[in-house]
Amino acid sequence: MKKFLALSMAAVMAASLLAGCGGSGSGSGSSAVSSGSAGGGAAQTIKVAAIETAYGSDMWKEVAAAFEAETGIHVELTTDKNLEDVIGPAMKAGNYPDVVHLATGREDALTETFIKDNALLDITDVLSMTVPGESAKVSDKIAGGFTETSLTNPYGDGKTYLAPMFYSPCGLFYNAGLFEEKGWSVPTTWDEMWELGDKAAEEGISLFTYPTTGYFDAFFYALMYSVGGAEFFDKATHYEEGIWDTPEAQTCFDIVAKLASYTEPTTPAQANDQDFTKNQQLVLDNKALFMPNGTWIVGEMAKAPRADGFKWGMTALPAVEDGGDGYSYTWFEQAWIPAGAANPDAAKQFIAFLYSDVACEIFASAKNADGEPTPAIQPVLNIADKLEGDNQLFYSIYDNGAKAAMGNFAATDAIEGLDIRTVWFDPVNSLVAGTMTEQQWIDGVKDASDQLRGALK
Amino acid sequence: MEKGKGRKRFLFFCVAPAVLLFTVFMVIPSLNVFRMSLFRRSAYSPTEEFVGLENFTKLFGDANFIRSIQNTILLIVVVTIVTFGFALVFAGILTREKIKGQNFFRVIFYVPNILSVVVISAIFSAIYDTNNGILNSLLSLFSPEKVAILWKGEGMVMTSLIIAMVWQAIGYYMVMYMASMSSVPESVYESANLDGAGRVTQFFRITLPLIWTNIRTTLTFFIISTINMAFLFVKAMTNGNPNGASEVALSYMYKQAYTNSSYGYGMAIGALVFLFSFALSAVVNKVTERDALEF
Repeated sequence: MKKFLALSMAAVMAASLLAGCGGSGSGSGSSAVSSGSAGGGAAQTIKVAAIETAYGSDMWKEVAAAFEAETGIHVELTTDKNLEDVIGPAMKAGNYPDVVHLATGREDALTETFIKDNALLDITDVLSMTVPGESAKVSDKIAGGFTETSLTNPYGDGKTYLAPMFYSPCGLFYNAGLFEEKGWSVPTTWDEMWELGDKAAEEGISLFTYPTTGYFDAFFYALMYSVGGAEFFDKATHYEEGIWDTPEAQTCFDIVAKLASYTEPTTPAQANDQDFTKNQQLVLDNKALFMPNGTWIVGEMAKAPRADGFKWGMTALPAVEDGGDGYSYTWFEQAWIPAGAANPDAAKQFIAFLYSDVACEIFASAKNADGEPTPAIQPVLNIADKLEGDNQLFYSIYDNGAKAAMGNFAATDAIEGLDIRTVWFDPVNSLVAGTMTEQQWIDGVKDASDQLRGALK
Repeated sequence: MEKGKGRKRFLFFCVAPAVLLFTVFMVIPSLNVFRMSLFRRSAYSPTEEFVGLENFTKLFGDANFIRSIQNTILLIVVVTIVTFGFALVFAGILTREKIKGQNFFRVIFYVPNILSVVVISAIFSAIYDTNNGILNSLLSLFSPEKVAILWKGEGMVMTSLIIAMVWQAIGYYMVMYMASMSSVPESVYESANLDGAGRVTQFFRITLPLIWTNIRTTLTFFIISTINMAFLFVKAMTNGNPNGASEVALSYMYKQAYTNSSYGYGMAIGALVFLFSFALSAVVNKVTERDALEF
């Protein structure tokens, strides 16, 4: 009897330990939206995984419910701030969500990894699909240019693999109140910028700061456009041979290097994920004039203290010469379908639905956890008309003369030990600190560009 | 006979779960790291390409990797020596001397150890702030001008990491040393007193030799925990910034494996770090070998 007891206890112990390993799929933040409308047990279910950002996660629940009401397809929704950690393990085991909403540029680089692995489903046909519940086609709704960039068509073959989502114009943010007070005007060329920098320096204000070097991607892309136009941008982002020796490239490098000398000196020490808000605070405290950022900055710094009379202002990157074009980079997120998804057809319907009036409305009225409005703006036509307050000003930047810059560096196979940010943007920290010369930076870029050219997709 | 068999079976079932879990969660993944280091693949690759030792040969030409290894070694050496010194001295004082508020100090020294690294990094973010930080403000008291040291700038960032890591680790090792010091019999010190040995002599001639086994164990702990903790501290405090100046081996591994989609390359770094920490621990263990003293 005793022996039996001991044996069974040991067995129970072993079983209970192992039980913890089972039960996958129901990770944190996962919630199935139940539906009363779609009857019958055979209703299809799709798994949707969306990153929870400043926009909050409630909007996704509402959109999932609206999609379900429209099509009868169940949505099993997973949202999390660290989405990669939640869906990553299952994906390593080959269980993919049907739709993933996750932008490029995150540290875990899940989306980039799928691009490099050719593991995305071609969704070009979604563009010619009719939006569920409407008569318009998807391509008629999406604003021009959004489905022609390397962010949506990574392989440059005219096929779309990633759907453009929530966009935000990026530019230089400043305290408009300070400019009014001092009687300064916002520079429209880089020469005016340097003049303003000297004037501000006399008052003990630095011209420039940046949250982290990660914000230089949008900055550098817009700069490349304003220096050499779309053609130069295209060649540079495809690592064309000799492109970094051209006068256009030299101008880009010179501007960043000169800007580094005008940068608030404590910036590099705070340019990390822990302290970047201290750099943003420099602008709120009138210690620095401009910083590159996106429209989310208003919500991000909503509770931060600020100088008297502070008023957000945003401008495009100045033109290189008088009468030239100022550019503002359009940052947007992406939604995509993994090639291994179990329900590609229903997933495509879901993506098409994301551009419906109903969904756009839900996204645009998103609120964060504090109840502050944080509108997520879908890249559909005529949406900027519905905005209010600061956002109306920001989103009308393209109506006020700035040109839109879109795209990014072309996709390549992964090269061990070499990534874009480390080579192109991180050295700005060293330029500001004076531990690296402009030439060293350029040499690094050229060397990396040569390697990346060979690995182009 | 029958009883012995039953006992063996009982032992087998008691040990089996632990062995099974250890194998599934430790042994197999570790072997997998070595296997994957021989392939070119991403974290989610359905396919992988065998490249032999190419990942390893590339590593030795990768300046960023070499810098991260240098930083790791710097941390292992400096954090170990400084923590070891402080922890021993504090433990000696708290066990041997009668000072007021002994228990209070024990608790105070141990508190950093139970704080999460994220909390510690937030604390040090306030301490190291260039404009309003405690450290620069304190230094400004002794200087005619306002001190504006960039604690997280390129020049100082490793020093700042070392200070934070030492602050965090002292309490843990102090408690370990105190435990073994308090088991040294009082009579040994009494007779040393009669022979005219001072406190410092007693510390070096009696305390240290008698807790030597304990010290050896902690040295291995130091190596392993510094490698691991360095990753957490770097991740929470600087993420390798500015411009890679504070990158350590494991944070670089993470960046390569995920951010740069080179999982195989990352695993090669993991394999090297694994071998390196094993070898270093073995060397330290060998070098510190002494005949055990008994009391």
